[in-house]
Amino acid sequence: MKIINIILISALAVIGSFTALTAEEMTGKTIMEKVYYNPSGDDTQGELTMSLINSRGDTRVRKLMQYTKDDGKTEKKIMFFLSPADVRETSFMNWSYTDGRDDDQWIYLPALKRVKRISSDSKGDYFMGSDFTYDDLGDRHPDDDEHKLLRTEKIGEYECFVVESVPKDKDYMYSKTITWVMKDNYLGLKREFYDDRDRLLKVLNIKKFENISGFWTILETEMHSVQKDHRTQMVFDEVKINTGISESKFTERSMTMGR
Amino acid sequence: MKLSNKTLLAFSWISLLLIVTATAFFTYQMKTYSRMETDLDEYMPKDHPAFIYSDEAEELFNIKDGILIAVENPKGIYNTSTLQKIKDISIGLQDMEEFDDADIVSLYTADNITGSEEGLDVRAFYKKSPKDEAALEELQNSVRSNDMVYKRLVSENENIALVVASTNDDVFSMEFYHKILEFAKSYEGPEKIHIAGVPIVEGTMAYLGPADMKRMVPIVLLVIIAVLFFVMRSVKNTILTLLVVGLSTVWAFGLMAFMRIPVYAVSTMMPVMLVAIGVADGIHLYSHLNLHLKANPKISKFDAVKDMVSSMWKPVVMTSVTTAVGFVSLLTSDVYPIKYFGMFTAFGVMAAMFFSLVLIPAGIIIFGASMPKMKEEKAGGEEKTKFSHRFANSVIKHKYAVVGATAVILIISAFGINNIWINSSFLDKFERDSDIVQTDTFINQNFGGTNTINVVLESEEADAFKTPNYLRLIDELQTGVEDLDIVGNSFSLSDYLKRMNKVMNADDPEFDRIPDSKNLVAQYLLLYEMSGDPENLWKVVDYNYNKANVNFQIKSDNSKEINKVMSEIEKYREGFENKGITLNYAGSGYKALVFTDLILIGQIKSLLMSILIVIILIAMMFKSITAGLIGSVPIIITAVISFGLMGLLDIPLSTTTALISSIAVGIGIDYAIHFIERFKIYAQETKDLELTVVKTMHHSGRAISFNAVVVIAGFLVLLSSVFPPNRSLGALVSLNMFTSFIGTVTIMFLMLCRSGLFFKNKKGGLK
Repeated sequence: MKIINIILISALAVIGSFTALTAEEMTGKTIMEKVYYNPSGDDTQGELTMSLINSRGDTRVRKLMQYTKDDGKTEKKIMFFLSPADVRETSFMNWSYTDGRDDDQWIYLPALKRVKRISSDSKGDYFMGSDFTYDDLGDRHPDDDEHKLLRTEKIGEYECFVVESVPKDKDYMYSKTITWVMKDNYLGLKREFYDDRDRLLKVLNIKKFENISGFWTILETEMHSVQKDHRTQMVFDEVKINTGISESKFTERSMTMGR
Repeated sequence: MKLSNKTLLAFSWISLLLIVTATAFFTYQMKTYSRMETDLDEYMPKDHPAFIYSDEAEELFNIKDGILIAVENPKGIYNTSTLQKIKDISIGLQDMEEFDDADIVSLYTADNITGSEEGLDVRAFYKKSPKDEAALEELQNSVRSNDMVYKRLVSENENIALVVASTNDDVFSMEFYHKILEFAKSYEGPEKIHIAGVPIVEGTMAYLGPADMKRMVPIVLLVIIAVLFFVMRSVKNTILTLLVVGLSTVWAFGLMAFMRIPVYAVSTMMPVMLVAIGVADGIHLYSHLNLHLKANPKISKFDAVKDMVSSMWKPVVMTSVTTAVGFVSLLTSDVYPIKYFGMFTAFGVMAAMFFSLVLIPAGIIIFGASMPKMKEEKAGGEEKTKFSHRFANSVIKHKYAVVGATAVILIISAFGINNIWINSSFLDKFERDSDIVQTDTFINQNFGGTNTINVVLESEEADAFKTPNYLRLIDELQTGVEDLDIVGNSFSLSDYLKRMNKVMNADDPEFDRIPDSKNLVAQYLLLYEMSGDPENLWKVVDYNYNKANVNFQIKSDNSKEINKVMSEIEKYREGFENKGITLNYAGSGYKALVFTDLILIGQIKSLLMSILIVIILIAMMFKSITAGLIGSVPIIITAVISFGLMGLLDIPLSTTTALISSIAVGIGIDYAIHFIERFKIYAQETKDLELTVVKTMHHSGRAISFNAVVVIAGFLVLLSSVFPPNRSLGALVSLNMFTSFIGTVTIMFLMLCRSGLFFKNKKGGLK
């Protein structure tokens, strides 16, 4: 369960064996666990439009086709650039592991006609110049943080738990995050990220979500870096879940063949 | 004016009371609302196109000035503790509120992007300071093979590592300056820590200049008081004259505070101007009073004051108004602090005039006049009469020598003016052997340079700077300009692409060049965005890839050197323009250059204008154009010699030295007016040229020489200052006083005699 999960496939299931706890019994930790263990499909595909907007309002738009598959141990993802034209058919593959190993990453540059492995030691890196770090895109295990239920409040029509999560690792890039979790589907609706000096760094807002094939799926989201006033919007179209994507989709060979 | 003594007395007390009240008000204003403006950006005219452009570019590319902290270990930096120190400094700076993490660049924060046959590796050079030999050696090798770091953040001899902290002028304060210095110092030993960079130089200057002034001003005042007392021989007179100067300064600064205008660095020149100008009125008034008392020892203080005011108010008003007008002409400047300087100095001059004509007479009436010591003075006085007599005669006798000498000096000066240049350098303001200059030299010897120039390239085409041909042009520009000794290195989008190309081709040096296709460029950039820190890219190119920033590191902030670099850059302008790419400059170094040009142009404009206005004013006052022209002679001579000498001695113009030319007008005109006025009075009184000459020289010449001696003595003290700009200030003010004085009593005096002005029967001409 990794990258894009929050965004793409965080899903809700009301599982029978899980007796629904009442709000009074809920703690910060149980809420975040419910969010984390929200079942998602085994595979997903969709078209992602990523818009990067700087403080001057300059906008760069990239369109990608994205496939993910998760067997519980490894989450594999492959993305093919559709536009802009000069990077068309460039592809990027990421394997991330639940056992804590570093991600494996590959890139294929059609102008160079070669697949290269990328190894990077920084999880804090921003994903493709966006306001999301690789870490933001993945699901953070609830045991990594201390959680506290601050209050419940309404955002728009949605009743939310407001949970503060403080990382146990003091050197983590955020000093804390505050998450608004919708009560009826345990989907995060909004999250605030605070920097190492406890100043508001970024705000994530979910703008559109739908139930697709029985899974609650986020379709539109925006991350706003408050200090730089830089925004990343992600919009997902033609999302399909559990179509049985073949394992061979996630290979170096497949990277060179386009979507 | 028929005023009874009683009315005069009452009037004096009322004036005194009013002055005290007003002074209290201005003092309160000053105490409450005065604040120092240290942000140099505040000096720049915001609406000037060069500044608008540069400011926009600075914002777009996040161009900032760098504070450079160098960690030096003579045994090499590749050992556990030095590397730990580099890490600690980097983290310590990142933790400061004034910096964002991305503002700090060092071996610790940098990414090492390397390539191999199968892939691309993006890693920190180190996270924990390596402990064993093998790891240290590996680190050393990876630095050596990375051009983006080697010789940029680690010196070639591997003994020094640099931590660069970028900062904006608006966060840079005096407290911050001291905080940074202290922070750097705390890491001293066994490694040596050096700190340099534009913000530090500016900070040191902002700190040292006023600190030195604070030390020097009391000494200057003391000397002025001593000399003033020596020429006036009266405590009362000395105190009152000083009050004129002091109160006019308080009023000027008080009014500034009242209008909520901050104190700029140039404003600190106001007291200098007011001292030089303000003592003149007092000296002339007392000189007249003493001469009058000597001639009429029995006269009452009321009558003496009446005589003093009635015969002196005219020259005092005339000199003050012309001086004030000279300063008001600074309003034509584009630079706000200079506008304010002109405006408030003019106000101060008018205040000094008011005090001279009200406070001094009131003081005499209330506290009594000091009688000139008759016995002693008589002998001395006679000698002085004789001296001025002899002086006047010898000037007349050697008139050709005087004219000849003046001509020669002017010609030499004119030659010097040709050599004059402006220097916007901050570093050149310090002693060569000062710490700050030495650190700067040290860092420049080992790294690219402590100063930067940014070249901003712009095309109308979107994605222009993904085009290999354009990138190659940039690369050529960098290679060409880097050939200059003064340019350490340069940095642009091309460097990233060359690096990516090499890395993606298994680090083959063959590929250390711009990729051949536009698509490959685009794909490398995308890859960089994915693997490196894209924030770095936006320092060299904009979002739409049609604006690029090329950064040159320069080893000097001297204007001559920066101009040399710029003229080399200009050679490439045509090549870019042929492709529809415009070339412009940005950054603080460039702005300083433009700014000094502006100051100089403004200064020359206002100097010429004030001379013109002064000629017209004097012509009106004496109802003679000839008088106007003659009166302007000492100013012109003073200005020409002042600039000429600077050219000859290779003293560059700077903000302060350029402003001193105003003083030439302010003071030169006073001397001339006093002298001409006296000459006119005696001419009408005696109708005899010879008598007029001697009497004028005795009366006015004497007062002028007193005035000159007092101010010169005071300002010569500044020569012992430790801060070079304050020394030039002292030297130039003294020089200007001296040339104005000599010019007035020699060449102007001769012209006045020669002109036959004020003699009705025009029997002028000299025997």
